[in-house]
Amino acid sequence: MSVDSRLLRPTAPGRRAVDRTIFGLCILAGILALAPLGAVIYFLIVDGLSAWSPAFLVELPGPITTPGGGALHAIIGTLMMTGLSLVIATPMGLAVAILIVEERTSRIAPLVRTAVDLLAGVPSIVVGIFVYTLVVLSTRHFSGFAGSVALAIIMLPIIARTSEEMLKIIPRSLREGTMALGMARWRALTFVFIPTIASGILTGIALAVSRAIGETAPLLFTALGSNFVQTDFSEPMNALPLYIFQNAINIGFPAAKQRAWAAALTLVVIVLLFNLIGRWLASRATVRGARS
Amino acid sequence: MTVLPTTLRPDEPERLVRRRGLSIGDPILAWLVRILSLAALIAVVIMLVQTAVDAGTLFRHENIVEFLTGLRWEPSNLIYGALPFIYGTLMTSIIALVFAVPLSIGVALLIMEYLPHRLSGPVAVAVDLLAAVPSIVYGFWGILYLVPAARPIEQAIASSPLGVIPIFSGPAPGPSYFVAGLVLTIMILPIITAVTREAIAATPRLQREGAMALGATHWEQIRHVILPFARGGIFAGIILGLSRAIGETIAVLFVIGNAPHLAASIFAPGYTLPSVIAAEFREANQPFHIEALIALGVVLFVLSFGVNVMARIVVGRFERRAGGADVR
Repeated sequence: MSVDSRLLRPTAPGRRAVDRTIFGLCILAGILALAPLGAVIYFLIVDGLSAWSPAFLVELPGPITTPGGGALHAIIGTLMMTGLSLVIATPMGLAVAILIVEERTSRIAPLVRTAVDLLAGVPSIVVGIFVYTLVVLSTRHFSGFAGSVALAIIMLPIIARTSEEMLKIIPRSLREGTMALGMARWRALTFVFIPTIASGILTGIALAVSRAIGETAPLLFTALGSNFVQTDFSEPMNALPLYIFQNAINIGFPAAKQRAWAAALTLVVIVLLFNLIGRWLASRATVRGARS
Repeated sequence: MTVLPTTLRPDEPERLVRRRGLSIGDPILAWLVRILSLAALIAVVIMLVQTAVDAGTLFRHENIVEFLTGLRWEPSNLIYGALPFIYGTLMTSIIALVFAVPLSIGVALLIMEYLPHRLSGPVAVAVDLLAAVPSIVYGFWGILYLVPAARPIEQAIASSPLGVIPIFSGPAPGPSYFVAGLVLTIMILPIITAVTREAIAATPRLQREGAMALGATHWEQIRHVILPFARGGIFAGIILGLSRAIGETIAVLFVIGNAPHLAASIFAPGYTLPSVIAAEFREANQPFHIEALIALGVVLFVLSFGVNVMARIVVGRFERRAGGADVR
C-alpha cells in the first residue's frame, strides 16, 4: 500500500503566498510605525542642533524678533516644579501602595484605589482644569505651586501603581522571615521590604518624571508661564514645554522657531534620559526569589 | 494571580504574630499611611465636586441640552454649543483607531512572531519610545512637517472621484481632522502595540504546537490560535488607545486648524474638546466663557471616564475567560 500522496505534498502555494503576504504586511507596519520616530528624531537633530548652543541653557530669551537667547527661566521652572511635585507625589503614592497591599482590611483602601485609578484615566488638560478650580481660583493667582500640584496629580497614579505591583511580589519567605524575627510591621516595611523593592519604586518615579516633565496641557492655566527667572512658588513660572508652546505658536518669527527647536531638543533629551533610567532600573528590579 | 495554598487569608499569619502591638511605630505608620491616602482621596473628591459646581454655573445661563447639542460656539455672542468639539474629538479618535489598530497588531506580530530575538528587542524599545516623546514636540513637528506633507495627499483624495463623498470632500487647506488623526495614530500606536504584545505572549503553547503539528503555516497559527486567544487583550489595548486619543491636547491643537465648526469632511479644519479648552482658556474674557470651557472639560472627563469603565469591563471579562481557557 502506498501512502496517499496528498499527505506528503508540500504546503499549497496559495496558503504559502498568504503567509508571505502577511509577513510582508507586518514588516510594512513596522516600517510605518517607526518612520515617525525616525522623522521626529531626524528633524530634532537637524533643526534642533543648529539652533542649540550651550548658551541656550544659561541665557534668557530676548524679544521675540531677536535671534538667540535661551531658556534658563524655563529650565529652572521645570526643575523646581518637577521637584516639588515629586515631593508631593512620592510619599502619597507610596502611602497609597502600602495602604492597598499591607492594610488590606482597611475600609478606605478600595475607595483610595478607585480614586487613584480614576486619576490615571483623567486627560491631562482636565487635570489642569481641576487644579485651576482647586488652587488657582482659591488663591486667586496662577503659580508655580499650582503647576506642581497638577504635575503631582499626573505622577501619583504612576508611582502608586508601580509601588503597589512591587510590594505585591515581595516573596512570602521574606515576609515570614521578618515575622519569625518578631519584627514590628513598620520596621519590616522600612528596613526590609522597601529597600528590597527600592529599584522598583525608583522605576516608577523615573517613569513618572519622564511623563510629567513633558506635559504642557496641565501647566497652561496653572503655572501660566513667565518671562524671567522665577524661584517663588507663589508666582507664575515657566517650564520647558510651556516655553516650546509659547515659541511654537509664533513660528512666523524665525527666532521663535529656532528657540522652539532648541527647547524641543533639550526636552526630548531630558525625557528620554529619565525614560531610559527607568527602563534600566526596571530591568534590575526583579526581587530575588519573587515568583514563589 | 497566584493562589495561596493555605486557607488563611494572606494577612492572617501576620496578624497573629503582630497582634500584640510590639511597637508604637506600627500605629504611627498605619495612621501616616491612612492620612496621606485620605488626603489624596479627599483632594480627588473636592476637585471633582468643585469642577462640577463651576461648570454648573454655565447652566444658569444656558440649559444643558442646548449646550450639549448646540452647533454654534460664539463666545462674543454668549452662545456656547459643545457639539462641534464632541464631534471633532470622536472624529479624530476614530481616524486614529482606523490607522493605529491594524498597524499596532502588525507591529506586535512582527515583534513577537517574526523578528529574530536580536532585532525584536530594539524594535520594541523604539516603538515604546514613540510614547515617550512629549506631545508638544509632536505638535510642533506636526505643524512644520506633517501638515505640509499631508496637504497634497488630502487634496489628491478630495479632487479624485472619492471627493464626491462628503467625508472626503475639499477644499483641503492642510490642518484638519485627518492630520490630527494621523498625529494621534503615532501617539496611541505604542499603547495598543504594548497591550497586544502582552496578549500574544499569553497564548498557550500547546495550542500553537498543535496547530504546527497539523501543518499550519505561520499565518494560520496566528489566525486560528493567537488572534482568537489574544482578542480580548487586543480589544483592551484598543480601548486604552482610544482613551488616550480622546484626551490628547497639545499635539492636536497644533494640527487641527482651530475652527469651531462642525464639518462633514475629514479634510476640513476643526477643533476637539481638549484643544479648544487649551486654546481659549487663557484668553477667555466673555461672561460664562471660562465656565463653558470648564463644562467642556466635564464633558471630556465623562467621555474618557466612560471609555475607561468600558476598558475595565472588557479587561475583566478577558481575564476571566483567559483564566478558564488556560490549560497549562
